[in-house]
Amino acid sequence: MIQLKWRRWNIILHRDIGYLTVALVIIYGVSGLAVNHIADWNPNYIQKKEIVTIEPIVSTEKDTIVAQAVEHLHLGQKPDNVFRPDPETVQLFYPGITYSVDLPTGNVLVESNPRRMVLYEMNQLHVNSPKGLWTFIADIFAVSLIFMGISGLFILKGKNGLMGRGKWFVLFGTAIPLVYWIWFQYLQ
Amino acid sequence: MKKIFIISVLSLMLAVSVFSASKKKYGKEITVKETTKISEIIANPEKFEGKRVLVKGPIVDVCKERGCWIKIGSDKEFESIRFKVEDGVIVFPLDIKGMTAAAEGIVSVKKYSVEELIKSGEEHAKKEGTTFDASTVKEPKIVLQIKGEGARVDGK
Repeated sequence: MIQLKWRRWNIILHRDIGYLTVALVIIYGVSGLAVNHIADWNPNYIQKKEIVTIEPIVSTEKDTIVAQAVEHLHLGQKPDNVFRPDPETVQLFYPGITYSVDLPTGNVLVESNPRRMVLYEMNQLHVNSPKGLWTFIADIFAVSLIFMGISGLFILKGKNGLMGRGKWFVLFGTAIPLVYWIWFQYLQ
Repeated sequence: MKKIFIISVLSLMLAVSVFSASKKKYGKEITVKETTKISEIIANPEKFEGKRVLVKGPIVDVCKERGCWIKIGSDKEFESIRFKVEDGVIVFPLDIKGMTAAAEGIVSVKKYSVEELIKSGEEHAKKEGTTFDASTVKEPKIVLQIKGEGARVDGK
């Protein structure tokens, strides 16, 4: 009777915590896939680059250079910030967009980095960018995942339960990281 | 059940508003009151080596891979300094480029040999998809950076 009650509560908690955490599981899973391949792409931003050409700028006076670049590029308003990395280049910074003007040639590199909608937010939560309260939420989620994993072992009894075919799956699942790590660390 | 749902959503919205309010602060609180000009650090690296400083200027570049550094433009033309933070501890988003930073950290001075500079130049060019002419490197270089601990970023 006591055993029955314990198993019933295990199923109830497994089910309800599952409902509660499904959104976070998807967020962390999708973001995990995205961040795993960080060497091949930027999972947070789309990196756009374009070259346009304007008239060369011959002035050496900073304010004149900026005014001419703004005029030639038809930008309308002054940039938020200006930087000259070297005597032949001026960079104009507008929200979300940078113009790097090569003064002698008039070639302009236009760079913008719009966020990848939804994926950016998922990644920020996954890497705990917000810190503060999110650390607490993520900790509870991590504990919930551990609970889900362990409680899942005891949902079923009999031939499909842990002591039946379940033990082979558990052993195989445990062997995957173990064998990989031994190969990675000592054999490759 | 509906009440629980509404209370949960309201709590989440509160959490989001807390997050939004602090989203332009990175790492530790800024403690240094007086700003040091970047041009002064560049002109006298030995004087500032190991010292804690607060610098201000436009963010002229951001680490594209991991957001682990920003380059801050100097008060003098053609000069900038790299503000390097520990990977993963602070992550600067790419879209802060062009905004103004107030950044605090420890000044670090490192000397690079010609071989090290060529290797680094080649790696950088490979990453950026550009070319690098090794013959342009003729002598060792002193590289200055600030080991960043905390920063505040403003829109303008």
